[in-house]
Amino acid sequence: MNIHFKLNGTPTEVEAEADEMLLEVLRRELKLRSVRATCGIGICGACTVLVNGELISSCIFLAPLAEGCEITTVEGLGGDHPVQHAFEEEHAFQCGYCTPGMILTTKNFLEENPAPSDEEIKVALGGNLCRCGCYVKIIRAVKRAAREEHVQ
Amino acid sequence: MSNPRVTGAIRYAQDVEFDGMLYASILRSPYPHARVLKVDASAVPKSVVVLTLDDIRELGSYGCQIKDQTVLAIERARFVGDPVAAVAAPTKREADEALDLIDVEYEPLPGVFDAVEAVAEGAPLVHEHHAISDNDAAYFGIRPQEGTNICHRFRIRHGNIDEGFEQADVVVEETYRTPSAQHVPMEPHASVARWVDDRLEVWTGTQTPFNLRMDLAGIFSIPESQIRVISPPMGGAFGAKTFVRTEAIAACLARKANRPVKIVLSRYEEWLTLNRHPATIQVKLGAQADGTLVAKRVVCWVDTGAYADCGPGVAQKMGYAAVGPYRIPHVWVDSHCIYTNLPPNGAYRGYGAMQAVWASERTMDLLAAKLGMDPLEIRLKNVLVDGDQFCTGEVMHDVHFIECLHDIAEKIGWAENKQGKGLCVLMKGMQTPSRASIVVEANEDGSYTVYCATAEMGQGAWLSIRKMAAELLGVEVEKVHYPEPDTDIIPYDTRTTSSRSTYMMGRALVEAVRDLKRKGEIGYGECVNTGGLDPDTGQGVASTHWHQGAAAAEVSVDEETGKFQVLKLHAAIYAGHVVNRPGAELQNEGSMIMGLGTTLFEQITFEEGQPTNANLSDYNIPAAGDLPESFTSELLEREGADVHGLGETALPPIPPAIGNALYSLGIHLTDLPLSAEAVLQAIDAREQAKGGRS
Amino acid sequence: MSRTVPQWLAPNSLEEALTLRAQYGDEATVVAGGTFIGIVMNQKIMQPQTLLSLRNVSELAFIEAGQDEGSPLRIGAMTTHRAVERSSLIRQHWPVLASTFALVASPRVRNQATVGGVLADADYASDPPTLLQALNATVLARSEKGEREIPVEQLITGYYETSLRPDELLVEVRIPRNRERAVYRKFRSRSSEDRPCVAVAAARVDGKLRVVVGAVAEKPQYFPDICALADGETTGNAQMLAAEIGRRYAEAIDPLSDSRGSAEYRKRIIAVEVRRALEEMLS
Repeated sequence: MNIHFKLNGTPTEVEAEADEMLLEVLRRELKLRSVRATCGIGICGACTVLVNGELISSCIFLAPLAEGCEITTVEGLGGDHPVQHAFEEEHAFQCGYCTPGMILTTKNFLEENPAPSDEEIKVALGGNLCRCGCYVKIIRAVKRAAREEHVQ
Repeated sequence: MSNPRVTGAIRYAQDVEFDGMLYASILRSPYPHARVLKVDASAVPKSVVVLTLDDIRELGSYGCQIKDQTVLAIERARFVGDPVAAVAAPTKREADEALDLIDVEYEPLPGVFDAVEAVAEGAPLVHEHHAISDNDAAYFGIRPQEGTNICHRFRIRHGNIDEGFEQADVVVEETYRTPSAQHVPMEPHASVARWVDDRLEVWTGTQTPFNLRMDLAGIFSIPESQIRVISPPMGGAFGAKTFVRTEAIAACLARKANRPVKIVLSRYEEWLTLNRHPATIQVKLGAQADGTLVAKRVVCWVDTGAYADCGPGVAQKMGYAAVGPYRIPHVWVDSHCIYTNLPPNGAYRGYGAMQAVWASERTMDLLAAKLGMDPLEIRLKNVLVDGDQFCTGEVMHDVHFIECLHDIAEKIGWAENKQGKGLCVLMKGMQTPSRASIVVEANEDGSYTVYCATAEMGQGAWLSIRKMAAELLGVEVEKVHYPEPDTDIIPYDTRTTSSRSTYMMGRALVEAVRDLKRKGEIGYGECVNTGGLDPDTGQGVASTHWHQGAAAAEVSVDEETGKFQVLKLHAAIYAGHVVNRPGAELQNEGSMIMGLGTTLFEQITFEEGQPTNANLSDYNIPAAGDLPESFTSELLEREGADVHGLGETALPPIPPAIGNALYSLGIHLTDLPLSAEAVLQAIDAREQAKGGRS
Repeated sequence: MSRTVPQWLAPNSLEEALTLRAQYGDEATVVAGGTFIGIVMNQKIMQPQTLLSLRNVSELAFIEAGQDEGSPLRIGAMTTHRAVERSSLIRQHWPVLASTFALVASPRVRNQATVGGVLADADYASDPPTLLQALNATVLARSEKGEREIPVEQLITGYYETSLRPDELLVEVRIPRNRERAVYRKFRSRSSEDRPCVAVAAARVDGKLRVVVGAVAEKPQYFPDICALADGETTGNAQMLAAEIGRRYAEAIDPLSDSRGSAEYRKRIIAVEVRRALEEMLS
């Protein structure tokens, strides 16, 4: 079946089977490598995308559900987003596999809670696992991004 | 311009693509031990390439220390998950579906699932014979015991153990158990193999390109020069991506299909590929009334699973790490690497140190309690200083255990009160012997390129090496390029394990830059460290360079549920000289968090050899909310000091620091993880011992 | 290699959806939010040939409460967890409902998973069914033939099993208006992100105490006769009453063993957590 959605602002049409997940479609058909498979059960957050501005696990999101939606991946942030800057400045990553998911989650979270406490950040990012254990610096990056967006 | 990890542009092995590439799936044994009687793939469509016994029977066996593995199980499957066939198809989905069309007939055999049981009389043998490998990872004397499940036996004989215990006024004895655990790198194992004429090319997330190349050469009976291994950056590894994993199967399929083949493991398969060695460790420790240690006897039963991998090396390291950083005149250690019918166990951050330090440092607190001594005082009294002899006979140099202990004691507020607090100090060796070499080339545009085998798994090695090179060359780090390691163009390096790369490759780099300055265009440098231990006596040089650290924890226990909070966790690691500060902090913090997972919740549960919690819901790894309220670390540096590897050191001290903190509350635990349920049982035991009602 | 490509049915109205449901029965897998289906499909536990998506049935996404005092809260089956979490109406009048839905999994799951779906999945460790049962909620099941109202405790019949018929769709959840304090406790034995080991919901509805224990057995555990001990009790022996109810619940339940704890451990935690829930409620 053909599925139509907007990907990072660009209208897109892809062919997918009804039982494929959005993750497979994004990687295979659209060559978006920032969205990654890891746990297959929606727990780890490496497959995070924004669907109509809300965080979704693309590995358990059936592709047809994306019909008519606006999908954002980290590629859509342009490389110059305050959250991306904050992650770089705070060195909030090691292997980088979980980083796109962390960045999208942070962006979305700060839109809703622009001045979060450490506790609130831990809860908001709890569903994004980082095996390299960068949580300390990730929390700093979130706070830094919050400050910078404030200033902006 | 942004870092590719932050833009999502970074490419891992799973992202490598070639025209006409096929996708592979592996058919695995559902039995922990079974004869493979028949594999019938006749129902698989012609569009799918199948690899079965007949295709691989003539190939060489492999194994980095014991040559006990074949590309597919020949005749016998030895663990749940042992590959018995493989397929490659135009899509992954087709490959998975093809597996269902392969009919395999098995004859189940009795299995053994515990290292101690595996050495008991009458235990079924996992392997009849043990052949020592000629891979350069088999760098020490290996002692397999024919006719048993023991593939290596490491011993330390230092002093006279009976005399030692006679001299002791106080003796404590305890047995500890640590379970298997999974590295859970966020990126699963992935490789792509293709043949270009007679040459094999493999893109694979690997920490060990040269060891891998050597084993592949042996498998295909071709010279190493006919094999090329390229190591893209990895999404985490922690020891899981070492030696042969998926590469041999990918290479065989690629050869049969005459097309490139990609294998990417599913998360479930990660639990069937390489795990951490479970261990049972018995410690007997004797001291004089004033706390001076006089004798230590350690026995380790190390479960290496169905194939040895680097289990012998782990058993050896566990053996001497279990002695601890102490002056003890009489030390006897027996560490056995034992086969069972569990998935293979291999390198896991700490390489045996975690298990050993758990047993050793918990025992120090048991001894302190029996002596009525402060756990800090007993450690300060006995810990090694420069000039002391370790139980291997080597003389210690550049050791800073006392400083590490003072730092953690201060940070945890040890002087104010000790209730609910615990300490730990540790030493960990670095791969000895080993060799690192590097080439530096000057480019026309004023930039430089370094060529070396050090792999990037998130630890920041590429950046550290670039920084060191930049400093030596007098340029900005942006002017130093570091291409993906490619065995066609890089000089030899032992492997990226054991937290050795910044130190060893760093020294090789100094030589290479010196050489470059002499020659003008290109320079070569190498660094060799020699040493090793006699496997029968444990005497020699275990490590030319010691990783050292200490940790302290403070806990608060809900005694009705056994659930406890780690209020404060602090580690002090001797770094010597820090090359890349944020990277060093990240490695410390990351090790501590992994240590927290090991302590609090990580264990693989098995039922008759079948992992029963092989997914990220049933197997917890630490999340952001699991961070202790106060979570800090210190990098101890000294003017003019050597770089000290940091990749692993802060992991092993976490479990004993927390275990000792619980012990200070009368909660005595010997097994990891320290689950709420186990804590509650220990509280019951404490109350019963008091004679009180629970 | 050929395989049968699954069919995707996407009705645009409830009427259309019910027709398809009647036509296919259990031959079509209903997709509400899709989180549960996504997980079981990835694990190859299920490989449905026909998927019946309710995504476009917008009439099933609503949160409403009538003006008058007695009227219940009505939540459409396709309302997401997130919508419940954020609804100012729910936060004002049923705050524990909003806070409990906020405890489920991660923001990603809550954006996708629905109120109807979480009940129809009957996952033993899910938070909302336990609380909804304590609040004496009911669900509306509709088919082409008509409609019936089912109390939550009669809806969930076993592990991943409900009393819904093959021609029915769960369309709405109704929660009675309740002035009294309600409590939900989620005891995790391991990581802060883990599923619960023991969950306890406690509420007073029409003056009667309702304690429901979840995550310990195939369905939420509720013992009205034990709760009846609290009838007529005001203060005074509150602590002892809480402990007694906890003790009896622990005795009455036959818990399961899993990665989060053994049956014996769960029994002990049930006693403690029920007592703590009641202490919280009575404080």
